[in-house]
Amino acid sequence: MVFKLMKKEFIEFRKTGKLIAIIVTFLLFSILSPITAKIMPEMIKSISSEITIIVPPPTWKDAFLQFFKNLNQIVFLIVVLLFIGSIAEEKNRRTAGLIVSKGIDRREWVLAKFLFQISLVFVLTIVSFFLCYYYSAILFPYTEFGTSLQSCLLFLFYMTFIISLTIFSSSVGNNIIQAGGIFIAIFIILGILNMFPSIKAYNPIYLSSLENQWIVSGVDWSSSIKTIISSVILSTLLVSVGVYLFNFQELE
Amino acid sequence: MSVIRTEGLCKYFKDKKALEELNLEVPKGIIFGYLGPNGAGKTTTIRVLLNLAKPTKGTAYILGEDIRKSRNYLRKVGFLPDVPNFYNFFTAREFLSFIADITGIENPKKRIEETLDLVGLKNEKSRIGTYSRGMKQRLGLAQALLPDPELLILDEPTSSLDPQGRKEVLDLIFSLKGNKTVFFSTHILTDVERICDRIGILKEGRLILEDSIENIKKRYRKRRVLIEVDNLEKFSDKIKETLPLNFLEIKDNSIIIEVSDIQYTLREIPKLIVQNDLVLERLEILEPSLEDVFLEVTSGV
Repeated sequence: MVFKLMKKEFIEFRKTGKLIAIIVTFLLFSILSPITAKIMPEMIKSISSEITIIVPPPTWKDAFLQFFKNLNQIVFLIVVLLFIGSIAEEKNRRTAGLIVSKGIDRREWVLAKFLFQISLVFVLTIVSFFLCYYYSAILFPYTEFGTSLQSCLLFLFYMTFIISLTIFSSSVGNNIIQAGGIFIAIFIILGILNMFPSIKAYNPIYLSSLENQWIVSGVDWSSSIKTIISSVILSTLLVSVGVYLFNFQELE
Repeated sequence: MSVIRTEGLCKYFKDKKALEELNLEVPKGIIFGYLGPNGAGKTTTIRVLLNLAKPTKGTAYILGEDIRKSRNYLRKVGFLPDVPNFYNFFTAREFLSFIADITGIENPKKRIEETLDLVGLKNEKSRIGTYSRGMKQRLGLAQALLPDPELLILDEPTSSLDPQGRKEVLDLIFSLKGNKTVFFSTHILTDVERICDRIGILKEGRLILEDSIENIKKRYRKRRVLIEVDNLEKFSDKIKETLPLNFLEIKDNSIIIEVSDIQYTLREIPKLIVQNDLVLERLEILEPSLEDVFLEVTSGV
């Protein structure tokens, strides 16, 4: 059943143009990031011919820093905008009520949405990573595969948390505005908590900083394991609570 | 066996008792009309029966299953919501295909074509987002019928259809009589009168009347007689003098009277006509319409 419901999510994304939007966003930044990193020093130098600006020659690290910066800002925004209404809007439009009135298990209905979103983001992230790596390898004399791949893995943990949060927000909210408000409120709280060093290590949004740290200073699993574990636990909790709440919610 | 049986079903919201001690029985194979003014609790009843809302107290048994303990019965129920909303990106055929997929219908292609044909959407190829309200209502009926359910719950199935569409949908519902049980809410009383076996009238969350239409009409018979004669004024004066009347009205060349003893009245009227040298053109015992009954019970007269 979950697979059948995931198929509907895929058809919805394909027919409403959301699929093209998310594919283009991911692929665009995977190609643009190494190119931007490569030409950025030249662009900076060309700003003024009178001042001498010394810019160190770019490396693969600049390409991946650019890549993760784009993923954490623009791609993050696109993902949240596309997924935040997945449950809330179906409740608001009453299609959720129509489908569950056919005896479809509510838990499976929510899980199908979560699994579809995770699968889509994982596939696109991995394809984007390889594209970015490919262009980086062409443009720079050396590109480290292992470090960049493991940083990409951190991004996947981070996105799992973000998607879990959208599922939770969408389950609780009765429309896209409420769901968006819940998401933003939780995200702001996590952002504030990130300022406390004692809590930071357990904060899932710290994963987005760790990706860059790993690129710059090298992979360090031991110092990141707490963040990864707490992120996995919180993601599981958010999805479970979202599923639980939806299972008992009154629908139109 | 009752397909729907509610036992003291209550549904309270913060500031409103939407359903209060609802005890309802819908026998197998009949068409049951569920009536009530706006806000009476019709849609709330349907939401509770479909497990979309939880009862505050009491329970309901649908096809023998307690709705508080199981949701399995939903597989045998078809539902048309009052405001049918679907996935706008699908065509009707694609949407039914999705419903067939998730409900596990055997031989889905054949069944989908049959159902689309039944509701008059067979040649419709555009996306649901472009449909009129009437077309959405037809599609709603199609998706409800698609899994060949034992019980059909229809919330205002004809509310946005034109007269032709309404007739077709009512004929379709009527054709299901005996094979399926149909529970439908409406406030179009002529629809109910045309196809329903039994009705229930709800007012402020309480079921105030439940019976067959025939019994209800008998119970609410007014003992009203319509008379047409060649001289209305003369007859009117004479009848006022002769018969004990509860009510008299002259309307469109007719006199309508309400009496306590209908047999006595029917014996006396011909005598009165002959004695006064009048010509009797029409004599009819008026049956109350369902609208009369509905207005009477819902206004508390």
